[in-house]
Amino acid sequence: MMRFVSARYSGVAIALHWLTVALVFVNLTLGLSMVPLPLSPQKLQWYMWHKWLGITVFIVICLRIVWRANRRPPPHASMPDWQRRAADCSHVLMYVLLTLIPISGWLYSSSTGVQVVYLGLFPLPDLVSKDRTLASVLKWTHYGLNSALFALVLVHVIAALKHHFIDRDGTLARMLPAAWTRSHS
Amino acid sequence: MKLSLALRSLTAWFLIATVAFAAPVAGAQNVLVDKSEISFVAKQLGVNVEGRFRKWKANVVFLPADLAKSKAELDIDLASIDLASEDSEREIRGGLWFDTAKFPVAHFSSTAMKELGGDRYEIAGALALKGVKRDIVVPIVLKKDAAGNRVAEGSFTLMRLDYNIGTGMWSDTKTVTNDVIVRVRIVLPPAA
Repeated sequence: MMRFVSARYSGVAIALHWLTVALVFVNLTLGLSMVPLPLSPQKLQWYMWHKWLGITVFIVICLRIVWRANRRPPPHASMPDWQRRAADCSHVLMYVLLTLIPISGWLYSSSTGVQVVYLGLFPLPDLVSKDRTLASVLKWTHYGLNSALFALVLVHVIAALKHHFIDRDGTLARMLPAAWTRSHS
Repeated sequence: MKLSLALRSLTAWFLIATVAFAAPVAGAQNVLVDKSEISFVAKQLGVNVEGRFRKWKANVVFLPADLAKSKAELDIDLASIDLASEDSEREIRGGLWFDTAKFPVAHFSSTAMKELGGDRYEIAGALALKGVKRDIVVPIVLKKDAAGNRVAEGSFTLMRLDYNIGTGMWSDTKTVTNDVIVRVRIVLPPAA
């Protein structure tokens, strides 16, 4: 039973949101499992796919930022002011992290002397040259930004579930596909 | 005071002795190692990956007027390879690649030099690498840098599998190409 159903995000925004979820989930899993592997052709292949997926996330995030800039999101359900501010803040931060993480990965790859060639077709310029010290800094930057994103996503998910199951204010339904919402309401 | 003077002259003698000892013999010209470089590039999953060797020695006598008396010898410390990461450097020193424990040094010895005209030369010689010895030809271009040093630059394509480099799981040339372009840049001081 929904007490309050707010206006929903647009279909494009919903699609891009869940596409981001899928891409980030797959790429995070790939990233964490490929690092400890001993060097092998398979490891090189996984690194390459990880880079391609990361650049794909970057493209999707750029699209989302353009979309968000041109469309106002639906209003928040009624909730305390601090929660509304916290939600807006965490959303902006996730956009920032999802932009910086692929960039840090791209720079990291360049700093090890391996150019990123997206899908094997589009070479990305090497903005930094090969440098062992820089590579180590960028590697931990990439890892640190991902850890921050992971923590933020955890809060994001917990908050969404709290709004859905405890507050029952329709916040989560704003971001669910229309078909899903219909079949569950 | 006296002691420091004695120490200083001792140091001076030591320096002279060291230089005299290190000076190459038989008219070889000192290669300016800091300005020189031995590097290579191969494609890994379609992406160019470069590397170079941090440690190598060269013994070069280059006399454009007397190419028959000219000679180039290079010893490359294969374990000194500089690659993308320490991980890949460790791998390439291993048995499937260079096997540096068994074959620490690659050796090149020229057998003939030919003038091609217009500052271009061709150096033929034998390259011994991982227990395999093969004849190679390296075309070079001779230039002068701002300081008047003689700069010889050349490159040749080495087929890594000819030397059993990158065997086993690495033998698939779709992962790492068989062709490796080796670039050599040797800088010699101005001719005496």
